[in-house]
Amino acid sequence: MGQEKTVLGSIHISPAAIASVVYQAAYQSYGVVGLAPKNLAEGLASSITHDPNRGVNVAFEDGKLIIDIYVILEYGTRISSVAQSVQNAVRFSVEKHIGLTVAEVNVHVQGLRVSNPD
Amino acid sequence: MQNKTIDGTMLRSLMEAGQVWLKTNHQMVNALNVFPVPDGDTGTNMLLTMNAAVAEVNQNGNSSAGTTAAAFAQGALMGARGNSGVILSQIWRGFSRSLHGNDTINAQQLANAFCEARDTAYKGVVRPVEGTILTVTKDIAAEATEAVKDTDDAVEVLRRCVIAADRSVASTPEFLPILKQAGVVDSGGKGLFFILEGMVRYIDGLSLEEATFSVKPLSAMDLENALEDVEEGQDWEVVVDFKPNDGFDLGTFYKGLEDLGTSIQVGEGEGMYRMHIHTLLEKRYEPIDYIMGIGVITKVAMENLLAQMDDIETSAKHNTIELENVQPGQIAVITVSPGTGISRVFASLGAAAIVGGGQTMNPSTKDILEAFEDLPTDKVIILPNNKNIILAANQAKDVTVKQVRVIESKTIPQGLAAMLQANPDGDLDKIADKMAKSLKYVITGEITTASRSVEIDGVNVKEGQVIALMDGKLAVSSDSLEHACMLFLDKAEAQDHELITIFFGAEMKHVEANRIADLIRERYSNLEVELQEGGQPHYQFIISIE
Repeated sequence: MGQEKTVLGSIHISPAAIASVVYQAAYQSYGVVGLAPKNLAEGLASSITHDPNRGVNVAFEDGKLIIDIYVILEYGTRISSVAQSVQNAVRFSVEKHIGLTVAEVNVHVQGLRVSNPD
Repeated sequence: MQNKTIDGTMLRSLMEAGQVWLKTNHQMVNALNVFPVPDGDTGTNMLLTMNAAVAEVNQNGNSSAGTTAAAFAQGALMGARGNSGVILSQIWRGFSRSLHGNDTINAQQLANAFCEARDTAYKGVVRPVEGTILTVTKDIAAEATEAVKDTDDAVEVLRRCVIAADRSVASTPEFLPILKQAGVVDSGGKGLFFILEGMVRYIDGLSLEEATFSVKPLSAMDLENALEDVEEGQDWEVVVDFKPNDGFDLGTFYKGLEDLGTSIQVGEGEGMYRMHIHTLLEKRYEPIDYIMGIGVITKVAMENLLAQMDDIETSAKHNTIELENVQPGQIAVITVSPGTGISRVFASLGAAAIVGGGQTMNPSTKDILEAFEDLPTDKVIILPNNKNIILAANQAKDVTVKQVRVIESKTIPQGLAAMLQANPDGDLDKIADKMAKSLKYVITGEITTASRSVEIDGVNVKEGQVIALMDGKLAVSSDSLEHACMLFLDKAEAQDHELITIFFGAEMKHVEANRIADLIRERYSNLEVELQEGGQPHYQFIISIE
């Protein structure tokens, strides 16, 4: 849980709140066409989710913020470049909007969407 | 029917021309970035993507346009860098798919290829943002579709696309308020425009190596450095802000200016332009008259450069410090320095930015942050050089998105020792580690005058006495400066070392500093003793023993 002490008390930021920021940032990255559920059991119903908490995992370990994001990318883009852009965008957004330092952004490419086979 | 279609060989030349023209202009594209994200080098990213694409074409392109386009798209895909590079590779992917199996490209096929490029580009993103390279792609495709109604010449279609791209780029601030605020156009869109414009310039036999004229965002205009290019006789500087009338054409405007003077710069932003020119004394009003004819002048500034040059030359010789010009991906070292002499030494060792500050003037986190936020790399090492500044440096590290290492140097000599280990091209952690380890190989002496009477660590000090701190701890006190230096060097066991470097402070006279340095040289004749102007306040000497 993100926590901060101020003179008036403390501020808690829930993983769900952070996940929403992550979700928005990921969709701003070119090449990302969807977020995917973290595991198969969750994903049987649908392969592309619109609930930010289902494609994003936010964890605090030893006071460090670790974000895992599960994405579907467009077929035909350079996966490594897109994944790097996602890392940059997510880290930048979370630090800008929430003010917490992000220790890790792990991008899991769960699948590719093929709009046009070459 | 000549030249109405484009074959593989010509397509290859066009692609290459696009790449070269982008290369010529990519710095300008970089200057348009408004988003402070690490992926901010749009021009560079697009250029690297184009480089990979052209390299692939040179390997696998042939006389068939379809095959050449496919090689180009493949190369772009493999070399795509950053967000803008990925989008560009998608554009070429769509473009080439449409041309599959075609040996030549006619007007209609070219239009189809641009439409397919647009469709493919839009598919790669869930929420397309208008006012970006995507919008420009869309406008190019629309114009190509229109153009084939009027002509069956593929080159003519390409020409019309370039004009449409230019217009589209100019309209991007209307879609994105952030562009309007910054007074710039979209960088990715501008990059795409340069690629296409390069193709047409090649067809027209125009130069691709030199930017003909450059319009920059106002913030990127570099009027101070323009002074360096003052040519003989061109001794008046005229800067005019104006709002152009309808039908204003930059190319014509630029040509008109070339008859009037040199060192021309034009910047644009928020519907207005700023023109900068160096001109002859008797011609100094002509640029103003000229601009009156094409727009409404809002502000004029004129200066006599010769008089200015004299001022600058006398002060610049002493005050300009050449900082290391870091490249993307390199490690930038940011250092805190209390005086110009010390700054100059840091700069000569390769510091990328210097923040003023020291014992009684600690820089803020923001000062430190600002020093490196705009550098084109995301690998940063900070040398605080004072124990009170380490905290601010660490805070700067915490708020930035860049990868920052803080080397906890507590004194100037420690900072310099660490600086000697810096290498812009190494691995960030390894270099930082090496720099941190080097701190203990140097002994620091700081010589100053006691501001009050005190007894610390068994050293008795009266107000007004000269004291020496060794690695931050009070070591000796004395009534005379030279005696304090000698006592300190004794205590630091200087004779067992090799090099003594003495930085004398702002309040010290050079002659007096020289005299004391000579005394030290006499006493430590087997050591090398160097005297440098440090320029630091409060401390008569900062001494480094290695």
